[in-house]
Amino acid sequence: MKSLFPDHIDLTAKVMDFQLQRQNIVSANMANINTPGYKARTLEFEKDLQAALGLSEAGAVARTHPNHFPLAFAADQTEASVTKSLTPRVVQGVDNVDLDKEMAAMAKNNLLYNTLATVMQKSLSGLKQTIADGGK
Amino acid sequence: MDFMTAIDVGASALKAERTHLNVISMNLANAKTTRTVEGGPYRRKEVIFKETEVQSPFSKAMNSALDQDVKGVRVESVQSDRRPLKQVYEPGHPDADEEGYVSYPDINVVEEMTNMLSAMRAYEANVSTITTSKSMFSKALEIGR
Repeated sequence: MKSLFPDHIDLTAKVMDFQLQRQNIVSANMANINTPGYKARTLEFEKDLQAALGLSEAGAVARTHPNHFPLAFAADQTEASVTKSLTPRVVQGVDNVDLDKEMAAMAKNNLLYNTLATVMQKSLSGLKQTIADGGK
Repeated sequence: MDFMTAIDVGASALKAERTHLNVISMNLANAKTTRTVEGGPYRRKEVIFKETEVQSPFSKAMNSALDQDVKGVRVESVQSDRRPLKQVYEPGHPDADEEGYVSYPDINVVEEMTNMLSAMRAYEANVSTITTSKSMFSKALEIGR
């Protein structure tokens, strides 16, 4: 369906939602860095998202006839999954969250989030420009 | 999904680590204390951390299973260490027993210092998660500009 906004805007918003969620999970892991027996959590959404977008090779469905339903991405039906590590990682009794790993995940996540925010900002400002110039 | 969950979780950790630092200071300050309200010499204290919900039970029930998995941390209790006391021969000390031995808490300054460093690093790690969350939020606010 054609709309005023670019097609990718729902997808971008959803991925930003997931990244915010991942930031929450990283915060939770960092907060419990000294909690004995805490199991570190990770958030996975890339694979599910690719499947939802029909980009993954496995189980891909081809649209062979124009009357077939399009394989559209539905933002509200895509979910991420939280994975809990099976056993708490115990090194010297207290160290159960890998600080380096969490920091790297956080930095990566932050960069991607900022990138997507910029992408969205630019696409919306392009739209604004079009509206402003069209009215002249 | 709550916008401020990451900051609430970070704040819970900052609070817990601050308590940890307070307890470490208390241990160092009382390294030579032989009299306490409970009687006997001071006992080294240890904090017990526990993962905890950051939201009220009601708002938690309204959340998805995904958000319910985000846990903060709190200090559950401050408990006395069970290690034996250190016996030092000081016959002139007012608290010495009949044989001239004074019981001091067994507090190792190096051990407390390393605990302090690890508490400080954990505090810094959580400050950096909060800073990152803040930068994400302000970046998201730029979308509307």
